[in-house]
Amino acid sequence: MTEFVSTSYNLEYPYQRTTGPVTGPFLTGLRDGKLLGIRCGDKVLCPPLEFDPDTLAELEPDFVEVGPGGTVENWTWVSEPTRKHPLQEPFAFATIKVDGSDTPMIHAIKASSVDVMERGLRVQAMYREERVGAISDVYFMPESEAYDQKIPKGKGDVPISEHLISLDFEENFAPTRRRYLEGLQAGKFIGQKSPASGKVYIPSKGYDPIERVAMTEADDVEIGFKGTVTTFTVITPVAYYGQEETEPYIRASVLLDDSDTPLGQQDIRNIPIDDFRAGMRVEAIFRPENERDFDGIDNRWGGTGGVIERWEPTGEPDVPFEVFSEHVY
Amino acid sequence: MANRQGTEDIAIVAVAQTPSYRAYQETEPLLLMSLTNEILTETGLERNDIDFTIAGSCDYLSGLPFAFVSNVDGFGAWPPVYESHLEMDGAWALFEAIVRLQMGDIDTALVAGSGKSSPGRPREIFALQTNPYYHAPIGLDPISMAGLQANAMLDAGKATEADFAEVVSRSRRDGLKNPFAQVAKDVSVDDLLAEPYHTQPLRKHDLPPISDGASMLLLARGDRARELTDKPVWITGIDHRMESSHPGLRDLTVSASTKIAADNLGIDGGAFDVAELCVRYSPEELLLKEALALTDSVRINPSGGPLCGHPVMATGLTRVCEAARLIRKGEAGTALAHAASGAALQQNLICTMKGDA
Repeated sequence: MTEFVSTSYNLEYPYQRTTGPVTGPFLTGLRDGKLLGIRCGDKVLCPPLEFDPDTLAELEPDFVEVGPGGTVENWTWVSEPTRKHPLQEPFAFATIKVDGSDTPMIHAIKASSVDVMERGLRVQAMYREERVGAISDVYFMPESEAYDQKIPKGKGDVPISEHLISLDFEENFAPTRRRYLEGLQAGKFIGQKSPASGKVYIPSKGYDPIERVAMTEADDVEIGFKGTVTTFTVITPVAYYGQEETEPYIRASVLLDDSDTPLGQQDIRNIPIDDFRAGMRVEAIFRPENERDFDGIDNRWGGTGGVIERWEPTGEPDVPFEVFSEHVY
Repeated sequence: MANRQGTEDIAIVAVAQTPSYRAYQETEPLLLMSLTNEILTETGLERNDIDFTIAGSCDYLSGLPFAFVSNVDGFGAWPPVYESHLEMDGAWALFEAIVRLQMGDIDTALVAGSGKSSPGRPREIFALQTNPYYHAPIGLDPISMAGLQANAMLDAGKATEADFAEVVSRSRRDGLKNPFAQVAKDVSVDDLLAEPYHTQPLRKHDLPPISDGASMLLLARGDRARELTDKPVWITGIDHRMESSHPGLRDLTVSASTKIAADNLGIDGGAFDVAELCVRYSPEELLLKEALALTDSVRINPSGGPLCGHPVMATGLTRVCEAARLIRKGEAGTALAHAASGAALQQNLICTMKGDA
């Protein structure tokens, strides 16, 4: 038995950004173990900007090497780092004026203790063993704790900056969704009947969006296994990373009898494509209880996961379109 | 086009908000639906009597692409309604609604803000708002930025840690009287200062809680406003300004953009009975009070403010709701509401309002 308590999911976007004529050389410099500033009038900006922050005029890519030393202007001590921070033990975020630069850089300082942190602290740029041409290639240490490094020069420029955004989420199943899942596990379709309109929603989101009425467990109803195909599409697979399909297949919407919202995205494999049609009568055959897979059903997405083995044609006469035209999606 | 005055024929005619929840168990549309129904009941309007609907929310918060589309369920959007959305706090939706109403062809606008921060890790999510080359890859988060801002103020001699604690002590005590507050407590400055640091010089109580929640208000123009309520709250000015996305280039010891917005509106910091400020981190109250030139006669955050409940994307609009509610209850005649976005008060919005004299 699966206990439907909480659901977790990960959201990832692998960003690739072009670096351009100013950020590119700066990131290339970091990979090669040096800090570059850009000339802006009689000042030097590090990290370099593509524009004069006062006038917004575009800057020529006229670089000057700065650092590796610097002076702390301001700091805060991060006692509980997040997984996205550059250091995984307590550290300082600080604004650091790198020697030869006129603008402060915000970065991390790896220090033995918060006690060494103060305005005016002398720090030194340090480089990671593995450098990819990113701001995270560098960090700082107090000069008194820093040590010499030999940084080999990398190959070519850094034209692209890669940044994988990866976020984790966890929440409890909403009560309505939990009861829907418990129903599927027990081999039942559990929907909710709106006390305002009498419409039956499956899976319900816990409310009737048309009448704006919240629903409770008292509104739960069990729905039968027979229904009508209201619409479908035939998907011809194209090859892409992760694609496992090779042959055309059907995705259909099935409106269960005595319900008002079709179950979408139903996977049809057992009925020949040429025989499949809207209006066709079908019946859900559940997988054996120990083979039901609830993956993909959470508060965000409904569906039936891997719970239904197949939709079996019942052989009943087709239902005319007019009967289900309000429920096609 | 700096001056946003001359909007005095637009009024808030109803406000509603949910409590701040540490983790709301139902979905975000339900948060909004309860508020829509509350406002319709109060004003006697049918859903389709409202001309325009606009909401602020953030899909990243609960990690659901197009969550803002699901939220439309909460507004009662069938038959279809005229609506829009911002990936910003609802206070900026208010700004857009006011601009839209000034076109003169519609009379009412429903404005909402909502968010569920509980499923995600806000510190990791909001680091993604920062510069994608220089700051996001090192996870520069709002709490750390608030820590830098606080330390800059201490170094400049503009505040002490006891000043921060004073803000917390008063806010959390005021929160005891706010039925929507999530965190409220009667706690002394000395007890607060005895707590360990979280992000030095900030202690955990200098930070807002992680919250789920929503707020909503209905705007109406001129005669329509008077038809809908006998207690209209007239918008007397609204403006918002933003500072550099490179915090290293900002002076963190002042809120420059708040001051520009205040100057644009020509506000007199002594002219308000109450100010609801988006104080997410206690030092921000001191910066805002200075930038707005608020005198000691102005009561700040009687609701307890965001330190008692921080439903991201609704927090700013909630300030407007709280201020308007005090005017409607007759406890204030004039009020200022403030909303903030970005790290260390990067972007600031001011909305001023008054009741019928």
